[in-house]
Amino acid sequence: MISVRDVTKIYETRHGDKLVLENINFDLAMGERLGVLGRNGAGKSTMIRLISGAEQPTAGAVERHMSVSWPLAFGGAFQPMLTGIDNIRFISRIYDQDFDSNLAFVEDFAELGVYLKEPVRTYSSGMRARLAFAISMIIEFDCFLIDEIGAVGDARFHDRCNHELFEKRGDRAMIIISHDASYVRNHCNRWGVLHDAHLALYDDFDEAYARYSEQMGLATQSVNPVVTFKNRAALLQSLSGIALADDRFRIHAQQGDWARDKGDWSGAEQEYAAALLLHPYERTYWIQQGHVMREQGKMAGAEICYRTACALGQPLQDIRVFLEAAMEGCDGASEAQFPARGLTGDATFRQPPARPDIAVLSRLFWPNDDVPQEEEVLALMRGHPSLDELASAMVADTRFSPHGRPWFGAGSGLADSSDKGEDAVADRWLANLCFLATPDFDYADASLRRALLTEGGSVLEALMSQGGFSDWPKTQAALQGASLARVVH
Amino acid sequence: MATQPIERAPLRESLAIQIRILGALLIREMLTRYGRHNIGFLWLFVEPMLFTLGVTALWTATKSVHGSDLPIVAFALTGYSSVLLWRNMPSRCIGALWANLALMYHRNIKVLDIYLARLILEFGGATISFTTLALVFITLGWLEPPQDILEIVGGWLIIAWFGSALAIWLGALSHESELVDKLWHPFSYLMFPLSGAAFLVDALPKFAQEAVLWIPIVHGVEIVREGWFGEHARAHYDLGYVLPFCLVLSFVALIQVRKTARRVVPE
Repeated sequence: MISVRDVTKIYETRHGDKLVLENINFDLAMGERLGVLGRNGAGKSTMIRLISGAEQPTAGAVERHMSVSWPLAFGGAFQPMLTGIDNIRFISRIYDQDFDSNLAFVEDFAELGVYLKEPVRTYSSGMRARLAFAISMIIEFDCFLIDEIGAVGDARFHDRCNHELFEKRGDRAMIIISHDASYVRNHCNRWGVLHDAHLALYDDFDEAYARYSEQMGLATQSVNPVVTFKNRAALLQSLSGIALADDRFRIHAQQGDWARDKGDWSGAEQEYAAALLLHPYERTYWIQQGHVMREQGKMAGAEICYRTACALGQPLQDIRVFLEAAMEGCDGASEAQFPARGLTGDATFRQPPARPDIAVLSRLFWPNDDVPQEEEVLALMRGHPSLDELASAMVADTRFSPHGRPWFGAGSGLADSSDKGEDAVADRWLANLCFLATPDFDYADASLRRALLTEGGSVLEALMSQGGFSDWPKTQAALQGASLARVVH
Repeated sequence: MATQPIERAPLRESLAIQIRILGALLIREMLTRYGRHNIGFLWLFVEPMLFTLGVTALWTATKSVHGSDLPIVAFALTGYSSVLLWRNMPSRCIGALWANLALMYHRNIKVLDIYLARLILEFGGATISFTTLALVFITLGWLEPPQDILEIVGGWLIIAWFGSALAIWLGALSHESELVDKLWHPFSYLMFPLSGAAFLVDALPKFAQEAVLWIPIVHGVEIVREGWFGEHARAHYDLGYVLPFCLVLSFVALIQVRKTARRVVPE
């Protein structure tokens, strides 16, 4: 039994005291596996360290009536200058264990071969993870503390870890923290949500997860990169990383995955759509979205998704079969007729348009009209091999207007239910617009917002005065036709 | 804080754990510091031996004035060995915790253990270096055998005590402020000529003697010299000053360790 009593932890920082945990209370008995959910920086790792005894609480007490492991699967328990074998020897000494049998186990489990005789600093991160996990398995604790075990290693290694932990040691107590909600759901029988320094406990995962999702939805996280890249490929890479670090995105994606695994295609579609509204440039979920739409027979939608994934950098050969199946189901066209172009490292205007680009550009060029619907989006994507051609066609369209306040409400294809009003949507739209048209312009600059808010203001004009579309030749020509192009650059 | 460690292990068991942990840390420390290459852990005392030999050679060559008729070899050996003893201890303990933060994940390893392991190693190295060189010099006939070995041991232990207490205090303090590391270097450098390694207290003018005897290491070095040369050294020291000094310093050091340990965050 572990008893955590009124544990409070305060870190002294240069900016004053920071309350990390407040009045945490729970008991954990043998056989109980507590999964803790919480956003980045919520104090999950601190809690684990307090329970392990590696750190002392500012107030309160942790009583351990059973042996408790150190936090598993962190790479730092090693002395990097020492060899794997010396590290095993050290741990064996510290915990008074037989070195030879430990060595035999680690040799077998970690599969490091001759590298065990090399200094740990020469290991790859995967090798370190294997060694760390193997070493932590050699000591038979009653309670295992597991901190983000799924973060490293391949599927085979995960399976073997799970076998060691949950099959062989299923009778032990465990506290597991992970970003991977499925992992926590599948392996735990109690759950906790850590938020604002408080821990709420649940016996039912769905309840815990609902609370977690709710808190994540309320949280505001930046969706924009800290630096801007002129190169679209580099920018997309950065946006994708931001998406995967955003808890709201991950929750939607996670719930989409669960629905997909259950065969609930429309449920999955909704969740993926919500995720992609928040981070429309994360290409892998466009593929998932394509799959679940195809399962429902929504072939045009699926084709848009696959083309988008391709335009955002997914190699065509990976998804060609799916794309062709979708096109076949849509109108019997073939990929050869309407080639899907992939992302190159070249200038942005030469890149193929993706679904989110159409949403962003149509709000700019056609602010007074409805957002294009699926059929038109597909035609635009099939018909325009580059962003430049797409934009010039939009300018040449009768719906083109340099003035007008675009509408961002629900159904605009830009708003998410977690957005606080249209302003949040407008901000995201402006940021995406800047990434597309003027990557070296600071999207946080107020001039665009001002143009958006002023009666009769023109975002397009404001954007162009900042150099927007200046290197898009066809768009420039079209805008000149509409007598809007800047004479001097 | 109301920590109630239940089922507190009996003293004998705790002691066994303590010894086991220190043993494991010692071996680990030796391996990380000296590795298994060339002469490996022999560096532990070969390094201070080289230092002492070099200084002895230098002082002999320059015929350093030390204000007595004691043989220069003996003077350098006793003097510089003591410097190595007390000076290397804090140098090894400052910042030691930062380098070993990962170990804090293992509940049985305490902050003090990290310092103790390093201190034992330093003490061992300096002591082996001192005795080996002494034996070699005596065998070669450069040095007379000591008059009172026990007194040398006593003086040596006082220097080691002072060094250890200072090392633990500065080590723990350095975890909270990097100023300690910055200030230690000039401080230890300036202390070297004042520590009694390069002079005999007796040779100093009266006022200087009084000033220099405020420095606790001087007492230890004087005792070592008296043990070696007997009456000849005309040693000045006061156990009534140096022992309480070390006791108070140890107390301060342990309080600082306690304070640091409460705040330590494993990496």
